[in-house]
Amino acid sequence: MINLAKREIEHTLGKFVVTSAGVGMLLGIVLIMIGVYRGMVIDAQVLLDDVGADLWIVQEDTLGPFAEASRVHEDLKNTIATQEGIQSAEGITLQNLQIPTQNTLVRVTAVGYDPLGDFQIINPTRLVAGRVLMQEHYEMVATDKIGLKLGQKVHLGRDIYTVVGITHGSVSSGGEPLVYISLKDAQKLQFLYSNARIRNDRTRGAKVESPHMVNAVIAKVKPGYAVDEVAKQIQRWKHKSVYTKQQQREVLTKNLIKMASKQIGMFTVILVVVSTIIIALIIYTMTLEKIKEIAIMKLIGLPNGMIVKMIVQETLLMGILAFIAANIFAHSIYTKFPKRVVLEYPDAVTLFVVVIIASILASMVGVKKVMAADPREAIGG
Amino acid sequence: MDSKTAIKVENLYKSFGKGDAYISVIEGASFEVQKGELVALVAPSGAGKTTLLMMIGCVEDPTSGSIWLGDEKVYDGKWLTKETRRIRREKIGFIFQAHYLIPFLNIIENVTLVPQTNGVSKEQSEKEALELLKYFDIEDKARSMPSELSGGQNQRAAIARALANKPQIILADEPTAALDTKRSVDVVKMLKKIATEQNVAVIMVTHDEAMLPLCDRVLTIENKKVVSKKSDKTKIL
Repeated sequence: MINLAKREIEHTLGKFVVTSAGVGMLLGIVLIMIGVYRGMVIDAQVLLDDVGADLWIVQEDTLGPFAEASRVHEDLKNTIATQEGIQSAEGITLQNLQIPTQNTLVRVTAVGYDPLGDFQIINPTRLVAGRVLMQEHYEMVATDKIGLKLGQKVHLGRDIYTVVGITHGSVSSGGEPLVYISLKDAQKLQFLYSNARIRNDRTRGAKVESPHMVNAVIAKVKPGYAVDEVAKQIQRWKHKSVYTKQQQREVLTKNLIKMASKQIGMFTVILVVVSTIIIALIIYTMTLEKIKEIAIMKLIGLPNGMIVKMIVQETLLMGILAFIAANIFAHSIYTKFPKRVVLEYPDAVTLFVVVIIASILASMVGVKKVMAADPREAIGG
Repeated sequence: MDSKTAIKVENLYKSFGKGDAYISVIEGASFEVQKGELVALVAPSGAGKTTLLMMIGCVEDPTSGSIWLGDEKVYDGKWLTKETRRIRREKIGFIFQAHYLIPFLNIIENVTLVPQTNGVSKEQSEKEALELLKYFDIEDKARSMPSELSGGQNQRAAIARALANKPQIILADEPTAALDTKRSVDVVKMLKKIATEQNVAVIMVTHDEAMLPLCDRVLTIENKKVVSKKSDKTKIL
């Protein structure tokens, strides 16, 4: 039996492929949007996992340094370290900086930690050149995306830093590139006012704040102790907010990304609906273009089922071609995005199912036109 | 019904609209067309030629009356089968003013489309189609697309398509309208040859009076009535 859809597509192959590719680019954006969301979820957890702390002790009634401004005294780490069940505690700072590169300023997140402390904040698997911080001053480890070179001098605040290590894939919870500096340098940058400001404050009688602050104290729990119990103990007696790693993960992946995921979800749904409408319009136009042939087919006695099958098969093939084009398009450009885009197989499978359903729905407009076509249209007079 | 009769129309009426918009087109048409007969259907524009052709072709609903196609009564105040499309597919071949071949099918696919839909195997339908194409001297164009053929070749392919389902009836709607006199005569002679050799009844709508002598009989629509006349063979070109 002659396959009408196959023969018609062969007859208008170029037009069909180009049209499918166009729809595919739209669907490719859907894949990228989903990939952006997946990237956000992964980015949000990179630093949390690299730090590897069991507990995050932050300013009371705040969600911690990833979500809200938090300041605690650095010496809180000593108090925390003496609590039962705590193995070690350190201060950590997070702040946004503008790093001057060759042509422009790059916005980064700077992590300040004690290079001689118990926490190895820089994940060794991310280090691609140089070394981790080994001195308490004027050293910097930067992620490769910033564009800094090993040994390069970077002017920050009052001091000049030397890049001693390059990492790959180090990003903040917001997906910005990371630099690592010593805690003392970070405190100087974040909490130490200029000399003029200090003199002015003294003249005013204002209390000059100590620069010995951190944004959070991180702690490891001794083996055999329940992390939740230790957290509750500290929260109860020390008037601080304490989060376990899991709680921080939830803050990062649910609270902070919630709006973004809704935003992306909305865009994705709109794009899928627009794609469906576009496929439907294309199929409608293609059906209109051959309405005379359809009328002839009806007149010479071809059953509706045969003509409807042609329309549905064409639409499904367009959907499948568009899906393939979407994957080619998405995979060829996703690395060009400034932030992480993760294309996952299950998302592609889901999109394929959605495309098939959308194609079937879209074919209905063509089918409706076929059913309504009057065989008398084939004959003039 | 006489076994030689391919088409029988009895007391057929057709009107459109209601009230002020009411128009009567055909009133009490009764005629027969025999197998092997080529009948011309002539009338001024708007007189209802195509409407009559469409009613015989089970496309247009008559208002009342009866229609037999072969030995099957298909209309008697209403269609006697829901599958009018099956009747067209099995009993009728259509030829139009333009060839109206399906542009995305090659010639042999156009010719075999209806037989294959009727359940004839691909091999058998292609064998028969090639014979038809040979008959019309376009066998070498079997795998060509309609866009690659001349107008005359396409029209012959369209006639081959109309014959492919071995119909009892061929309904031709102004098949010579777009052709010059010489080619028109060729087409009508071909239709006559088909009618005779294949024992098929052919009704041909035409405006061209020069073609009438080539037909066996002429049906005219005068004052909404269908009148049958003998063709004047003395005026053959």
